Amino acid sequence: MISNVGSMLLVLSFVITCYTLFIYVKKNIVQKSSIYLEFFLYYKASFLLLLFSFFILLISFVMSDFSIISVYENSHTDKPLFYKISGTWGNHEGSMLLLILVISLYGILFLLNSKNISDSLRATTIFFQSIIQLIFLSFLIFTSNPFSKIIPIPSQGLGLNPILQDPLLAIHPPFLYLGYVGFSLVFSLLLAALVLKQYNSRWASIAKKWIMLPWSFLSFGIGLGSFWAYYELGWGGYWFWDPVENASLMPWIASTALIHSIVVMEKMKKLFSWTAILTILTFVLSLFGTFLVRSGVLNSVHAFANDPERGVYILFIISIITLGSLAIYILKFPKKIENNNSFALFSRDFSILLNNYFLIFILAVVIVGTTYPILLSVFIGETISIGPQYYNTILAPFIFIFMVLMAIGPLMKWNNNSLVLRKQRIFLFFLLSIFLTILISFYLSKYNFIFFLGVLCSMYLIVSVFYEIAMYKKNFFIKQNFSRLFSHLGFGLLILAITLNHFFSKEISTKINLGESFFKQGIKINFLKSESNKGNNFEELFGSYEITKDNKIYILKPSIRKYKQPQQFTSETSIQSDGLSDVYIAMDYAGDPSTGIGVRFYYNYFIRLIWISFVLITIGGIVSFAGRKNEK
Amino acid sequence: MSPSRKKRISYFLVSAVVVLILGKFIFNSLQKNTIYFFSPTDLLLNSETPRGLIRVGGLVKRDSIQEKKSEAIYTFVVTDLKNDIYVEYKGILPNLFQEEKGVVVEGVLKDKKFLLGKTILAKHDENYMPPEVAEALKKSGKWNKKYDQ
Repeated sequence: MISNVGSMLLVLSFVITCYTLFIYVKKNIVQKSSIYLEFFLYYKASFLLLLFSFFILLISFVMSDFSIISVYENSHTDKPLFYKISGTWGNHEGSMLLLILVISLYGILFLLNSKNISDSLRATTIFFQSIIQLIFLSFLIFTSNPFSKIIPIPSQGLGLNPILQDPLLAIHPPFLYLGYVGFSLVFSLLLAALVLKQYNSRWASIAKKWIMLPWSFLSFGIGLGSFWAYYELGWGGYWFWDPVENASLMPWIASTALIHSIVVMEKMKKLFSWTAILTILTFVLSLFGTFLVRSGVLNSVHAFANDPERGVYILFIISIITLGSLAIYILKFPKKIENNNSFALFSRDFSILLNNYFLIFILAVVIVGTTYPILLSVFIGETISIGPQYYNTILAPFIFIFMVLMAIGPLMKWNNNSLVLRKQRIFLFFLLSIFLTILISFYLSKYNFIFFLGVLCSMYLIVSVFYEIAMYKKNFFIKQNFSRLFSHLGFGLLILAITLNHFFSKEISTKINLGESFFKQGIKINFLKSESNKGNNFEELFGSYEITKDNKIYILKPSIRKYKQPQQFTSETSIQSDGLSDVYIAMDYAGDPSTGIGVRFYYNYFIRLIWISFVLITIGGIVSFAGRKNEK
Repeated sequence: MSPSRKKRISYFLVSAVVVLILGKFIFNSLQKNTIYFFSPTDLLLNSETPRGLIRVGGLVKRDSIQEKKSEAIYTFVVTDLKNDIYVEYKGILPNLFQEEKGVVVEGVLKDKKFLLGKTILAKHDENYMPPEVAEALKKSGKWNKKYDQ
């Protein structure tokens, strides 16, 4: 019964969205009225309807209403409540509904927080946002209705893939959606400004916070996803250049470039067309990411349930949105814009331009690596994959140089060949970071050129950010954009952590019998005991291992779970951290258990710093968003 | 030629050269790191033996898994139900590795019938058939509806 209500609400919100667009066209375009009250009211109504239908889907999952196909296919009465709830978006239909809800939510957030800008710009933005909402709503209703019913009603559901039954995974898709779907708003804002001929530096200062918000969510979502893969999938690492990971990274890189270029537009009235193109690119890449994850073209460890036919629809939607926005850009881009495109070589604006060149290059590398295997298999029928070395070897040298620019660029003045501090300081930082790098090298007794370079460049960035933090009170220039310091510091720490992790991590995989031990690379693994246990919807076999490394002893208790519904084994990792490094162990069941149980052991140096830096990067975005909130 | 035009042309030329160099750089690295996928039949039909890292996929043949005790060295047969290949693998078998289920092994060929496996790529879901294995089975004409989950 309840599913009928859900379906009805969806159709109703579709109708209301259509009506919203109709009102706008009738009253505000044809009759040229400048009163938008009714229009805004209907838009809010469409949001509430979507919200209710999402709640109804959520309730159906909680109550295990198996008359609904998506509940039947993805839930089970045995499942803990938390995972019944997360099951709502753990499948294609529910996650598409969530996606639409987020599009709509951003529209509402914008309406509520934009009272200081002109009503015509607000209304036109909401108009474009409604069009995007309508496109996805029709996709949802016609190809993947989450409330589709099944007859006869099954008595029990099929269950949610156990690998998805994890608290982190349950919350990371909503964050990713709040991230990349959120770029729809700034995209709508761009189209609105172009149509209304209000695309100017004032627009840039309005738009910036609507980039910061989704960017912060996306940064956090990527961090969460990476952490989930680390401890739930039992792969022992934090990033695998998996196409699905890349799908979220691509819009992140594009939006990071956008965050920087839009500041130049705001302050210096330059890079107008470049910023517009980046805005479009960011949103299109977000959609492209959805396509990669949802279409089934990917040959990825992440590829869950998906359907090629839907991929064709999404591809169609992407083409419409891309072509439509490019058409508006070409037709409406202001022709008589002050074309001040000269840059002083040692100015802050030029360093941001360089930053954009670097980011676009990095983006190109990721796009090529992700799409090349897909294109090859579609057009030639050859199946290939790209090894992670492709990314590591190309990107490393560029990122090192990039970090030095990141350190020096912000210390330059706008449009002027001068620094905000004395030149000698820059060399002082350099000497200090060389000194610190040598210290680290000695302490860890590692003498490798790449290692040295990686640590040096990240140290340089870190040192100069710390200098700026120290100067925060004295220097107005630094005080003005304080939020940047968090994100830049986060990035410096991230690369430092990645470098250290790369050179000092160890991996051992072997088979050990109960009561026996194994010694390799200075690490001793002792298999103490095993015991079985019964969980709510799984049976569990615990192992107890004693790890000895550098005279430190760790007791780790990983386990293997055998889930009942659906039948599947998962490895639960056991991780202990002494702050600097993690010892990490996972068991594997396959093979003959009488000859011992397989274990994979990882020693992960400095890996915690990676998550910390993600948090710092996110904080930077949020501080910037919050700081702009009260601005006129 | 006016000086501004001259300037613009030189900008264009410089950026074209830079883009070309970077493009070449990406392309070379792409080629170096490409890992090709073969089914056992593909390998037999291929006139040369591929060098370097490759992936081979198919089903794990029934009763073919053997284990050298306590050394964690396994041998098994991967088949596309038309042709077979032996795989020797040192390491831990992942949870989802099972007889008559799809598998993709990454490794180096000793010869066309013998692969030294370095990594076994295990997918998330038990019912899930790696798409390249499905493709290989369809090519060998042995695709069965029962694999379609």
